[in-house]
Amino acid sequence: MRKSERSPANLRRRLIPYALLAPGAIWLILFFVVPMYFMGEMSLRSGIPNTPEGFSFSWDFSNYTQALEGRGEQILRTSFYAGTATFLALLIAYPLAYAIALKVNPRWRLPLLFAVIAPFFTTYLIRTIAWETILADASPIVDVLKFLAIVPDNGRVLDTSGAVIAGLTYNFLPFMILPIYASLERIDTSLIEAGKDLYASARQAFFRVTLPLTMPGVVAGSLLTFIPAFGDYINPEFLGGANNTMIGNKIQSTYLEESDYPEAAALSFLMMAAILIVVLLYIRLAGTEAFIGSEEEER
Amino acid sequence: VISKRRFRALVAAGGTLAATVVIAACGGDDDSVGGAGEGERTVAQGGTPSGEVLISNWPGYVDPGSNGTIPQFEQQSGLQVEYTEDVNDNVTFFNKLKPQLDQGSSGGRSLFVVTDWMAKRMYDLGYLQEINHADLPTVFQNILPQFEESTTDPERKFSIPWQGGQTGIFVDTAQAPEITSVAQLFDPKYKGKVTMLTEMRDTVPLILQSEGIAADEATKEDWLAAIDKLRQARDSGQIRRFTGNEYTEDLTAGNIVAAIGWSGDTSLIGKEGVEWRRPTDGCDLFFDQAVIPVGAPNTPAALAFLNFAYTPENAANITDYVQYVTPVAGVQEILQQESPKVASDPKIFPTEEEIAPCSEDPDPPGSPEDVAEVEAAFQEVISG
Repeated sequence: MRKSERSPANLRRRLIPYALLAPGAIWLILFFVVPMYFMGEMSLRSGIPNTPEGFSFSWDFSNYTQALEGRGEQILRTSFYAGTATFLALLIAYPLAYAIALKVNPRWRLPLLFAVIAPFFTTYLIRTIAWETILADASPIVDVLKFLAIVPDNGRVLDTSGAVIAGLTYNFLPFMILPIYASLERIDTSLIEAGKDLYASARQAFFRVTLPLTMPGVVAGSLLTFIPAFGDYINPEFLGGANNTMIGNKIQSTYLEESDYPEAAALSFLMMAAILIVVLLYIRLAGTEAFIGSEEEER
Repeated sequence: VISKRRFRALVAAGGTLAATVVIAACGGDDDSVGGAGEGERTVAQGGTPSGEVLISNWPGYVDPGSNGTIPQFEQQSGLQVEYTEDVNDNVTFFNKLKPQLDQGSSGGRSLFVVTDWMAKRMYDLGYLQEINHADLPTVFQNILPQFEESTTDPERKFSIPWQGGQTGIFVDTAQAPEITSVAQLFDPKYKGKVTMLTEMRDTVPLILQSEGIAADEATKEDWLAAIDKLRQARDSGQIRRFTGNEYTEDLTAGNIVAAIGWSGDTSLIGKEGVEWRRPTDGCDLFFDQAVIPVGAPNTPAALAFLNFAYTPENAANITDYVQYVTPVAGVQEILQQESPKVASDPKIFPTEEEIAPCSEDPDPPGSPEDVAEVEAAFQEVISG
């Protein structure tokens, strides 16, 4: 028996997982780990932008404190925008996904899902610029909002926090809808029926059966929305005003306008760390099972 | 006309992705010294041009089409020209190219166009080749006297003027016909109805002049004080936002009543009654310069192209299309025949008296460290 374990066929079988992992691993190493190393190294350099000497490596951790100096308000603003957009997206996405997965006639599912994805056929940038027109001061939509007293008469929508949050919510909504839809669609509806047979009200059945079973979708959707929203700089650039910038805008301008590469790299790392902490806390709170799905379910 | 700064934001979008890669590339060499140090400057080689040449310029900065400047040049010179419009923003272009220039390569470009202060910065970093005037007979025969020298390049050692323009204010005359000065943009009456430019060397000199300070004599403290004034106006909501070319869209949509903007952009504004004005309390000139980078292949072809663009007929075709200020003598006379409206446009052909008081996209004073400090303070205001 021992002999057959060492047989080429067996060896091949044991190598298969590595072979399958290889393309992804090589990709990640080349385009994530390696740039990350250089960025980390860059974040510890010191020097003056736009001089022949450039920046030299010197374990200069002050880039990190400098990157945070006076950033408090912007970091809070960024968290608030991304958090609110994620929450709003969840409020919009769940009922929508629920309806598509469980309530509508199955032959409508495909067209409805298609409608969810359709905006992706246009680029993100163009869609955001289109919102500039929709929310312009003289647009009919703003007139309606003023009529409904949602916006004050002398107020505006474009170039405000509201516009940025609306833009973020809109742009990342499909990332929330699709995972929730996927987990709703997998639910064995007999479980819900069983709950009702045991005298659960519709409400109880939802909160004690449906929602817990779809938590993986909710968690995945929230992360897929929150993470890109936190680092976004297109929405504040086009829909926000001078007082609505996010951390992404600052990184962009530190790198491309100020040419201060070390500080830009440090700020990027800090942002990554912040997102990582938020994500870990969130997964901890929601439970790992909710994140990767319980093993029971996998079988 | 597509103005040159129009695609700033679009480029910025691609930028972040590129940034990661570029940071990686920068990290590669520890002692990132310029392509050529002081004292060992190369001079662009002249001679008879042949073969292929790659030229980079701002969008909409040359007469396009099958009968345009480039095909005509190809026909006359027998050269194969690849003309790309990949310069959208001085600093972004600089940061994109820097890793290559550090290695003494221009990415295949023989010639590109950047604004005067950027040309100076590149020269000081050893990224540009010097130009022998003997190789540019047509250029120096036809250049207007006021462009023969410049503050950034007194002897025209490395930069040849391409096109220029003025920074001033656009005013929606239906909404606020009374605005004629930069100082008025700070009037609370126009709160949230005013935008300014993200280009520091355009916005800050105008603020300085509105305070009665000559921009090229301003101290670092003056610059920082002007930037602080901007910060207060941002915090109070006076300034709606800081933009590149997007102010033209804000004016078209009626979101704002006035903006600091570039004289050549009039045609981008689709609203009646919006006009460009030279502010009564100051103005700013910028001039974009053709330069030959280190490592440029086929420099004879680049020089031949400049000579071609400086013949009055060819320059007139360019001006007629791009509607910015030309550095070439005789263009106005030709356009008086062919395009009288352009020839009489004071934005395209300002008189010497009109532009005499204008600043010229000045750098903040002091060492690179001081400049970086002012730059950081400005970016702090416009991006958080």
